[in-house]
Amino acid sequence: MSDHAHHSVVIPAPGPGFQDHVVAHHFDTADQEFDACKLGFWLFLATEILLFGGLFAAYFYFHQMYPETFVACGKTLSWKLGALNTTVLLLSSWTMAMGVRSAQTSEKGKLLVYCALTVLGAAIFMVVKFFEYSAKIDHGFLPGRFFTDPAGELAHLEFPNMFFSIYFTMTGIHGLHVLIGAALIIWIMVGAKRGRFHAGYYLPVDLVGLYWHLVDLIWIFLFPLLYLVP
Amino acid sequence: MSHPSPSHAAHDAHGSHGDAGHHHVASAGLFFNVLVALLFLTVITVAASRFDFGSANLLIAMLIASVKAALVMSIFMHLKWDTAVNRIMFLSSFLFLSLLFLFTLADLSTRGMDEQLQRVSAPVADQWKHPNPSGGGAHH
Repeated sequence: MSDHAHHSVVIPAPGPGFQDHVVAHHFDTADQEFDACKLGFWLFLATEILLFGGLFAAYFYFHQMYPETFVACGKTLSWKLGALNTTVLLLSSWTMAMGVRSAQTSEKGKLLVYCALTVLGAAIFMVVKFFEYSAKIDHGFLPGRFFTDPAGELAHLEFPNMFFSIYFTMTGIHGLHVLIGAALIIWIMVGAKRGRFHAGYYLPVDLVGLYWHLVDLIWIFLFPLLYLVP
Repeated sequence: MSHPSPSHAAHDAHGSHGDAGHHHVASAGLFFNVLVALLFLTVITVAASRFDFGSANLLIAMLIASVKAALVMSIFMHLKWDTAVNRIMFLSSFLFLSLLFLFTLADLSTRGMDEQLQRVSAPVADQWKHPNPSGGGAHH
């Protein structure tokens, strides 16, 4: 018992330009560390599903209560910008998957390029979102009691402010995830540049990748529900 | 998941798992095919929204989105090759989510069956007034 408690397991670097990975002292093996961290991360992602799930339940509820309002308010959003952002996120999810793969095969240069492309996708997404939000704010299409609609464009509808409460809450929390995801990917790039990640140790890349795919996963449902209100 | 035993760890630094699925490296071709499928399904999503299937609209939109989500989860998120415990951990969230949806649906579908509930909702509905009901006019 006492013997291995003092000697950490070391995963050697696969070559020059890479760093050894020292397994945290409370783990017996590298696989145990990998499994424990990954299980914890999947648990975290499960709570993310439940967080957004509550918002989706609210969407379904009010959509059912005021279907005309939801269809009409959904038309105030540009489905073209929504489709553009969907495409950007899908592409970025692919670049992230390829980035994780590059880490698994110890291809440092490729990992950096794929991560950079993913961050670029996040940036494009947020810029598009900025223009979309600006347009909604200009029209006074805001959540709850902040809804002004000075031109009375949606005055014929029942509770149009409800739709925008849901729109801003869901896309706002999602956008926050995009920003956090981008920051995490930049952090991965810093580590990758130093050669921290390779076939023997790519856990952080894997976990950040999962987080980024979750961001994509949520948007896959948000796009048809908000921009193409069924 | 196995119980880590000191003796086991001593002679097997690379872990107690026989399955290689753990650190599965998916082929780049598969990832690309999934990307193409996801983009194609996005086109289908937009196209389907142009047709009116009545009350099935929401169901159809969610069905297409679920296929896309399944592709992302199983391939991009490697769930297809992940351990059973990780799969159960993540997918159980959808089980609990379905409970939330189920009881929400039960509430929605039984509204109006009770006169009392309808009366309670009335004053709440009266609280919010559109700030500019006669603003731009010319709308229907």
